[in-house]
Amino acid sequence: MARFVLRRLVRGAVALLLFQTLIFALVQALPYDFSAFFIVSPSLRAFIREELGLDRPLWEQYARWMWGFVRLDLGRSFLYWPAPVSRVILSRLPRTLLLFLPAAVLAYLFGIWLGKEIAWRRGGMLEVGASLFSVAAYTSFAPWLGFVLLNVFGWYLRWLPYQRLVNPNVWFNAPVTVDRVLIGLLGTGGGLFAGGLGLWWATRRITGLLLRRVARIGGLTALGVVAWMGWNASGIGPLAADVLAHLVLPLGTVFLLSFGETMMTMRAAMLDSLREDYVLTARAKGLPGRVIRDRHVARNAILPVLARLALSLPFVLVGSLVVERVFMWHAMGQALFDAIEFQDIPVILGILSVVGVLVLLAHIVLDVLYAWLDPRVRYPRGE
Amino acid sequence: MAAMVGVRRAWKQRMAAWQRRWGTEVGLFLRQPLALIGLALIGVFGLMALAHPVLMATVWNRARFDPIVGYDASQTPHPHPPTPQHLLGTDGFGRDVLSQLLVGTRVSFGVGLIAAAVAVLLSVLLGGTAGYFGGWADAALMGVADVFVLMPPPVVLLIFGLLLRLNWPMVALSYGVLSGLGAQAVVVKSHTLVLRNRSFIEAARLAGGGHFHILRKHILPGLMPLLAAHAVFTVVGAVLTESLLSFFSRTTYYLSWGSMIWMGQQSFRWFTLEGQWHVILPPAFALMGFCSAFYLVGRALDEVFNPRLRRV
Repeated sequence: MARFVLRRLVRGAVALLLFQTLIFALVQALPYDFSAFFIVSPSLRAFIREELGLDRPLWEQYARWMWGFVRLDLGRSFLYWPAPVSRVILSRLPRTLLLFLPAAVLAYLFGIWLGKEIAWRRGGMLEVGASLFSVAAYTSFAPWLGFVLLNVFGWYLRWLPYQRLVNPNVWFNAPVTVDRVLIGLLGTGGGLFAGGLGLWWATRRITGLLLRRVARIGGLTALGVVAWMGWNASGIGPLAADVLAHLVLPLGTVFLLSFGETMMTMRAAMLDSLREDYVLTARAKGLPGRVIRDRHVARNAILPVLARLALSLPFVLVGSLVVERVFMWHAMGQALFDAIEFQDIPVILGILSVVGVLVLLAHIVLDVLYAWLDPRVRYPRGE
Repeated sequence: MAAMVGVRRAWKQRMAAWQRRWGTEVGLFLRQPLALIGLALIGVFGLMALAHPVLMATVWNRARFDPIVGYDASQTPHPHPPTPQHLLGTDGFGRDVLSQLLVGTRVSFGVGLIAAAVAVLLSVLLGGTAGYFGGWADAALMGVADVFVLMPPPVVLLIFGLLLRLNWPMVALSYGVLSGLGAQAVVVKSHTLVLRNRSFIEAARLAGGGHFHILRKHILPGLMPLLAAHAVFTVVGAVLTESLLSFFSRTTYYLSWGSMIWMGQQSFRWFTLEGQWHVILPPAFALMGFCSAFYLVGRALDEVFNPRLRRV
């Protein structure tokens, strides 16, 4: 096992270094450089190039970039000079996470639930309808979906605020920064999620469906009330509410874009599990359908679905970067688009590497998990 | 005359053999309502792509209905809501939306088919070779796949858009390369491994079959269902990525659904008139319908060829 993990890690490291080289080459091939965006005299332009290190020979830039990457130093941003790239990315991370994490979690939960339901009642109108809707949502064009939601709910119905991160009128003379509130909201969300999981774990042994449901719903309500009271007592409740109101539309867009694939995957996995013999046994024992569905089939079906989700997570992240752009949600997506626009090479490379490292981690974790669960994977043929 | 009869009989036998081999699969495929919806949609889009040159040659006046330089001076202001003459109205530059929509269909088909062909070809070459021969070939080729897996095509292509003047064949080609060398190659490799260890391959080898013969006659047919599903999903990804690129103006100027949506949103902001949805909705729904159609067909193929998903 240790040997397998080691081999996988070495392979991952080699792939990462090759990937870094490839994206460096890709970005270096861009036609002009950052200094071209200033209308200044040639000597000043030469000075800018020298200051940014753009006048050095290519191999030196490459060596510097690779050496920096190995030490987890992504260099300095050109556009936000002299801020380090890591700070440019990290300062926008809470905003991206606040949009991306809840959307991904909600999409996965809803997709898994719906996939379970429609696989259980295969061949009905519900299946056709749910499949059509989810596929339409999954294949709809991200900027357009955002635009429609904005116009319908923001402009025609005026239920929700229009674009941007916050309403300046609410935030006039605010005692805290936006990012502070965002981090607080992220913490609250994480706490609620962990609390919900803990509650589910704690109440799983309660027999009696009604009692268990009451306990779960009551506990969730209590958690929500505690969170609400905490924000009320903090004195910045209205500010948080403003952020949340602005969050609804982009979050809904990312949710709509990503739940369909989860649903279809879960459905296929359920249909796969339904053919197993233990399902027949469970039926023969006379267990109620709900128990067979939730305890026997769904539990076995969910593993490959979770594997697929881990692989699709970085791509949901990329999708939410595009949605951020549409909603003028100033976060990592905006940083990426600005960096592409102005050839801020360190930031482009930095964001690409972050996404690449995330994908790589997902693959390695999955491979190791599979090897742990299935010994056949551990040993290549002939060993 | 005798030769004709012989040809006809051979053709008949071939059909019968084909039906014996694939009849069940075709039946299972056609029994799914979602697959039929997908196929019908693809058919409609095919007709749309074919209709444009015909309409331009017969019914439509070039000066008014050209998708790029046409202008209708008889109806102002532009964008003009739908009229009997312009069934979907006109856009902000006075061009017929329906005509643009039909041209966009052609581009989408082109992008999807090129990307799918490239991706399937590359993933078979890379994954098939790595899985069949194993050893050093496996290590080297999977090293390539490991690198390409890390690159999300939309982001890489957004950066590419600065470097090259991307036109739609280029977009399709790059998307095909990125997805064919990445995730798809890995899946093809693992399926090849499964096939390779089956006993009929052993039998073919004992009977004296060479590598090329085994790959062509035994491995490739076994991979076909998987490749078909991959091809269909590649179409979806490629068309959506192309739309994203042309929406963000990262391509050379050509008409596609993405650039139509972009122009629709532009005129949406310039004019405060009510009801300009006719410029934005047709390309967006066309995009959604096109991608959904291919996605549904892909899922249905999966359900037919994946023995564990088949309905009993």
